[in-house]
Order: sequence, then C-alpha cells, then structure tokens
Amino acid sequence: MKLNWFTRKGIIYWPVSIAGWLIWLIALAYAVYTFIDIDGRSHSVSDTLINFVFNLLLIGLAYTIIAYFTEAKKATADTDQV
Amino acid sequence: MVIMKEQDEFLKQMENLQVPDISPEHPEKVKMAIMNADRSAALGVWLIVVPSYFLLCVFMYYFFHIHTGWFGSMFKMMEGLERTPYIDFLGPIILVVLPIICIIINALAITHVQVKKQNPAQSGGREFSITIKVKLWNILLILISLAIVFTFIAYVMTENISIQN
Repeated sequence: MKLNWFTRKGIIYWPVSIAGWLIWLIALAYAVYTFIDIDGRSHSVSDTLINFVFNLLLIGLAYTIIAYFTEAKKATADTDQV
Repeated sequence: MVIMKEQDEFLKQMENLQVPDISPEHPEKVKMAIMNADRSAALGVWLIVVPSYFLLCVFMYYFFHIHTGWFGSMFKMMEGLERTPYIDFLGPIILVVLPIICIIINALAITHVQVKKQNPAQSGGREFSITIKVKLWNILLILISLAIVFTFIAYVMTENISIQN
C-alpha cells in the first residue's frame, strides 16, 4: 500500500497529509503530557529534564519509525545503485 | 547574396568540425542495493540516539567522574524500567536490539551480493561476489552501532563472571 503521509528532510520527517499531521499532533500532545506528568512527580528542574529527554527521544524514535514506513516515495526506485 | 554566402560558410564550418570519438562505456550490470542509503541512515540515527545517550551518561559518570544528578539519574531510570512490570523488556530492546536493527538496515543499504556462474571455459563453478558502496554516514552508523552492541555484550559478560566469582 502506497502512503504519502510524510516527507524527509535530513533526519527529520515532516507531515504532508492530514494523517501525517494527526500523528505529529498526537506525538506532540503525548510529549507535552509526559512533560507535565514527570514535572508533577519530580523534585527539581534537572530531575524533570533528565526523565523528559529520555522520553522525548523514545517518542521521536516511535514517530520516525511510523514516518519511515509511510513516507512519500520518490519517482525513482527505493533502492540505490551500488 | 551576403546572407547566402554566410550560410554556405557556416555549413562548411559545420561539416569540417572534428567530432570527438565517443565510445560509451556502460557498466556491465547495474548493482542495486536492497534498501535506500539515505533513508536507512536517517532511521539509523534515531535507532542509536537513545543507547548513545545512555552510554554518554555512563562514560561521564564512571570514566570522567562527573557525578552530577543528570548522569546518575539515567541509571535509576534504567533500573526503574527493569523493575516495572510490562515494560521490563524495554531496556534490552533499546540498548541491544535497536543498534542491531541499525546495523542490518545500513548494511543492506550499502551491500550488493551476487552469485554468478563463472566462465564455463574455466572451472565452471559459481562465483560469490560482495560489493560494498562507500557511503560515509552508513558506515559510520554501522561502526557506532557495533561499538554499542559490543560494549553491552562485554558488560553482560563481565557482570556474569564477577557474579559467579
């Protein structure tokens, strides 16, 4: 199935369709929720940031994996010449 | 008349032009990698960013003796992951499985494997050839991933040996 939800610029995937934007918003909302949740339980600013950076990287990884499989394919073949 | 003369001269010049001898040399075969190199590199960076961050904290804490809460808390978080039911499998996946996936996808992006028959006039056997494309980012990601995997394997081995002793 051909899905064109994201386009890649460098190592960052940007949404280009409604479904893509929806996934991006869900990831952003979850990151914000995680930050508020961690901030509510932690005792210092550094404690919040330590836990949040780790979670943010995991959210970024999950988002990138989804985007990798649903990105807009170029006109050329998906493979490279060796 | 003048225009006609100019046209004749132009035609003569064109006829006397020396055409370079071009002998097109096409490659015998187009070798296609299984995966796209740029896409694999982009995903590979995300796959190793978490274990790299964890390793950075470890090195800062134990080797450079920077005992700040930032690096120490990272270990508490990983311990917390192990103790929490349902997500206790996340630790080994993040630290070992993701770098291994990174190695696989980047290796597939730069290698081409081919089995072909040799010239029947010679031995007549089969020839197995591997071609590796020199792509800096893919090779760098493979090396970093290998370093991460071997670091954790070495850690697990030494930990087991010290426990047995």
